[in-house]
Order: sequence, then structure tokens, then C-alpha cells
Amino acid sequence: MPPKPHRILLDRVSVYADEAAAFMRRRRISRRPFARLYYPHGRSADHAEDSRSGAELFVAAGRLIEVAGKKGKG
Amino acid sequence: MTTVMIQEARARGTVGIFTQVMDAAQSAAPDRESAAAALEFLGEMSPDLRGAAILGPAGEVLAATGEEAERWGEDAAVLFAAADGAEEAPVEQVHIATEQGEVFAIRNAGLAAVSVTDRFSLASLMLFDMRSMLRELADAS
Repeated sequence: MPPKPHRILLDRVSVYADEAAAFMRRRRISRRPFARLYYPHGRSADHAEDSRSGAELFVAAGRLIEVAGKKGKG
Repeated sequence: MTTVMIQEARARGTVGIFTQVMDAAQSAAPDRESAAAALEFLGEMSPDLRGAAILGPAGEVLAATGEEAERWGEDAAVLFAAADGAEEAPVEQVHIATEQGEVFAIRNAGLAAVSVTDRFSLASLMLFDMRSMLRELADAS
């Protein structure tokens, strides 16, 4: 007896949800701090935290995070 | 610390880039009420948002979340100065991810916006929303 159509749909949704959850887990683990600058015409450049420019960017970002606070949108 | 960094940026001649990039056609800055409304709408669209600010053509704060609008302006200027100074070229967008949160900055249509979100927010979506917000503000003004 073939499965009911709604079961197939539910199974598919469940598989997609599992895939999405796994993707998010991998993303959380693999992402490290970075500073990325985008220039006109689509060019982008990454700056390492230990480079001079990278350090300045992280300091500036840290100050903005501080002023934004941990919660609330003002 | 901010003053020192701004002075350093001035010495390198990168602070001026902030205003040079602004579109000359966009001479009239949007009013503060429109900017505040746009910022509120951005907050509604972005659940990860912790805070943000919109800056006018000269780098002045048009709207900011929280009660430290002046500081948003100073810190955004330092960020743009550091970003422009990285390759001695004006940047269009900035995305910095740290352990404490993520910072986005963008210039569009003669205006600029900076925002701070929780970690792992969707960068492309955030930058898209910020760009749309600035474009609509500029069009309205």
C-alpha cells in the first residue's frame, strides 16, 4: 500500500529541516571572526585580525558593539 | 581613544574620503524624522539587530538607536576611516564579525548606515535591507 500523500510531504519537509539544522550547526562551528571590506565593482578583501588594518577594524567594530549594547533596539 | 584614532585618520588623509564618496547630487539630507522612521522599520525587519545609526552626507547622525547618538557618529567615522585606510580606497560596505556580535556599514546614495547585530545574522540580507533603507531615504529627500 503506497504511503498517503501528506506523509510524503511531511517526510520531505522533515528532511529539509534536518539539512537546514545541520547547515546552521556547521556554520556556527566554522565561522571565525573576520573583517571583510567591499569595494565598488564587487571587489572584496579580507583583513586578518593580526594585521594592522585588521586590528583597527576590530577595534572600531568593538566600539560600535559597545555603544549598541547587548539587547534592545533603543 | 576615539580622538586619537580620528587624529590618526586625519593624518593619513582618510577621513576626507568619507565625504568625498558621497554623491554630489544628493546634497539635501533627509530629515531626522524620516531617518528615525526608517531606522525603526529596519529594526522591525531585522530581529537580530541590536542597534544602528544613519549618517548624513557630512557624517552627521540623522538617527540612532539608544541615547548615545554622538557616539554612534564618532565610532562610525572611526570605522569608515579604518576601512578606507586599509587599502587607501573608499569602501562601499563593511562586514566585521566578532565573538561579541557583527558590525555592518554601508554607503549608498550619499548617506551611510552602520548597524550591530547578534552573531551569525544573515549578512547579505542585512546589507540588502540597509541599502534599500538608504536608497528610499535618499529618494524621499
